[in-house]
Amino acid sequence: MQTNRLPLEGIRVVDFSWFAAGPACTEVLANHGAEVIRIECHTRVDGLRVLHPQPEGKYGLNTSGWYNNVNASKLSITLNMRYSKALDMALRLIAVSDIVAENYTPGTLEKWGFTYEKLQEVKPDIILLREPMQGSDGPHANFSGFGAVISPLAGISHLTGPSDRPPVGMGTHYTDYVINPGHAVIATLAALRHRNRTGKGQVIEVAQLESSVSVIGPALMDYAVNGRVQRRQGNRLAHAAPHGAFRCRGDDRWCVIAVFSDDQWRALCRAMGDPQWCREERFATLQCRKENEDELERLVEGWTSARTAEDVMETLQAAGVPAGVVQNAQDVLENDPHLRERGHYVYLDHPEAGRTAYDGPGFRLSKTPGRLRSPAPCIGQHTEYVCKEILGIDDEEIAQLVIEGVLM
Amino acid sequence: MADQADTPSALDDIRVLDLAGEAGMYCTKLLAELGADVVKIEPPGGDPARGIGPFYHDEGNPNRSLYFFALNSSKRSITLDITTTDGQTLFKRLLAKADVVVETFQPGYLDGLGLGYAELCRVKPEVILCSITGFGQWGPHSRYQAPDIVPVAMSGIMYLAGFPDIAPSYAYGNQSHYCGSIQATAGILMALLRRDATGEGQQVEVSRQEALSINQETAIQYWDIRHELRRRVGAEKRMPGMGLYECKDGYVMLMVGLPGFGSPWPTLVQWMEDEGKAEDLQEERWRNPLAEVSMQLISQLFSLEVDPEWVAFWKDRLSHIEEVLVRFLLGYTKRELYEEGQKRGLLIAPVNNPKDIVESPQLDYRRWFTPVEYPDLGTTIAHPGPPYRLSETPWRVQRRASQVGEHNQEIYCGELGLSKEQLSTLSTEGII
Repeated sequence: MQTNRLPLEGIRVVDFSWFAAGPACTEVLANHGAEVIRIECHTRVDGLRVLHPQPEGKYGLNTSGWYNNVNASKLSITLNMRYSKALDMALRLIAVSDIVAENYTPGTLEKWGFTYEKLQEVKPDIILLREPMQGSDGPHANFSGFGAVISPLAGISHLTGPSDRPPVGMGTHYTDYVINPGHAVIATLAALRHRNRTGKGQVIEVAQLESSVSVIGPALMDYAVNGRVQRRQGNRLAHAAPHGAFRCRGDDRWCVIAVFSDDQWRALCRAMGDPQWCREERFATLQCRKENEDELERLVEGWTSARTAEDVMETLQAAGVPAGVVQNAQDVLENDPHLRERGHYVYLDHPEAGRTAYDGPGFRLSKTPGRLRSPAPCIGQHTEYVCKEILGIDDEEIAQLVIEGVLM
Repeated sequence: MADQADTPSALDDIRVLDLAGEAGMYCTKLLAELGADVVKIEPPGGDPARGIGPFYHDEGNPNRSLYFFALNSSKRSITLDITTTDGQTLFKRLLAKADVVVETFQPGYLDGLGLGYAELCRVKPEVILCSITGFGQWGPHSRYQAPDIVPVAMSGIMYLAGFPDIAPSYAYGNQSHYCGSIQATAGILMALLRRDATGEGQQVEVSRQEALSINQETAIQYWDIRHELRRRVGAEKRMPGMGLYECKDGYVMLMVGLPGFGSPWPTLVQWMEDEGKAEDLQEERWRNPLAEVSMQLISQLFSLEVDPEWVAFWKDRLSHIEEVLVRFLLGYTKRELYEEGQKRGLLIAPVNNPKDIVESPQLDYRRWFTPVEYPDLGTTIAHPGPPYRLSETPWRVQRRASQVGEHNQEIYCGELGLSKEQLSTLSTEGII
């Protein structure tokens, strides 16, 4: 039976993180009940707020689809940390919070005087989550970067794509959305559990480089042990054939097919109508198919290219052959019958951006499922609420702080 | 690691029964290295993943798979055939002392064995059951076969990767397993926090398609908000200094000129000048176009549906700058460009290969690679290190990846109280 209670109810997060990887972590916490307060500033706006996509004719700080998608269920206040009054207010907020999150270049918090010891003075069991690029120490600690350079740095670009083309990677800042924020969520929840059991807070450091290279472990061990430098192999795998994306009917339509066993191979042949070539000796075993893979792929594509990608997938899956449409965003959002039935995407009404789609949670709890409780906040939308309700500042003082530029 | 042995663990009171195949191996590794006691339950004969390369010294021996080692450190291993009645009885006895079960079977498979969630709750009411599959437990595709490439394709991320003139690119290295396992681990910890508070267990469901789809960046929003389809763009560059460049020994990624991100273009030109390779870029006519570059302009240049004439105008103005930059970068190695570039505050990164990463001075300084002893191989193997560092409850490798059934006696005799004769009978019958 589901309840309306969320697992992180009562947990408050002071969120200094910005751009994608940091907010994507606190997004998971917010969707599971934590009160996440983004600390923003008009003089140093989160870059995602000014990036695309934005609705036609509505370009502004509150309408970026990129920002909004990773900030649902959160509050936003504006606080200019160059003012000492702002620093005091941030400390007062931390004093009544559980977690502080940040992904600035190393030294920024220290510049404000916010060492862990300082934070502990106001909240002894505070959990401090830091997500620097490469860690707080070491020869590259101060090297700058963001999602776009992490995939190249972490080996993912080198290992992905066709062997005869440049290493362009995955076309996105891949590690910003699940790999780094996901590791950060795990570490934070572990720290929360430790705090609940012992009353002790701690400092978590998720160096984005270290978190990202964790997902190519076997290739690293292959070099460390065997001295082999793995290279990108396109869409093929050593122990499968055919294995790749095959052109289907229509504009830029593709279906992946993956055949590991001889049973799957025979099922694929039957599903294609047992053409003569399927019976040829040169495709009889996995080893034969690997040796003649170019020709094999050409012949399979001869069959797929006359059919729609959906037809290829459904026919092959019904026959027991792993296959899937290479779906584009329209397919994923609107056409995939499975995602629609599961309600993966959530539509929320935003006062400026209108009704837009957000990613649903990446895992589903049966009794206390996460949910998007509100659309992303407009910049500073909750400044007054946080000042009054959490910090107990009266209207007069708020007005004064606005005039002084502290709350901007 | 001995110096860490006395530090507390966040999960040292948690036992996990691990029925997971490849898709869940990273999940139970994460739990084990946060301190949980993970008991990996393999079918008699061992997990088929032990047969997947690369292998230690390329010896195709199932106890020497580096792929298996990488993903199974810190777990204990027992064998058990849960398809037999005796096997199921033993599983339930193990469950009585466990907190979490992780599995990756087809939806309904455990129900068919009488080991579904309801049945597990009868033995252990507060159990947390985590299921990781290609498409989740329900819905029209839930029984689809889902080796890694299938959810990668269906999630939308593959469509964004690669070159427009050829097939989309498949991401390296079972990313649906990693993303699915990361989501699952977060879900299990969420459920544990809830259980700590209320005493109640629950199910955690992960669809690897959904777990991956979150990586589409802005593709969903481009379609939703503007009805524009994000496509793969290959090595296309719209601005000099922003994208992939060839150098002496490989490639580097540049993100120079992004307002607010590192030093601006004049810094790069100054560097070229210092090396005597700026050619004519210090001339006024080449400074102007770069001075006009703003975040808004870049955002427009990179947006999907822009006026091609406007792009052509910019490209034309900037193409000479691009040519000089290409010539400059070809003269240096990726490491030279990285270190000197970063010294000047320029956002440059090398496209590292596994060798570069193993030899990285940064990872070396932070002792990221973690030596793990393999006495049976008479060697120590460098394992991937901590994905995160916790000051009070640090990530820790508990032991090397276990051999098949290495802990059968320890667990069946030591904990369940079976005699050695019983163990040997069960082994002969193929149950253990």
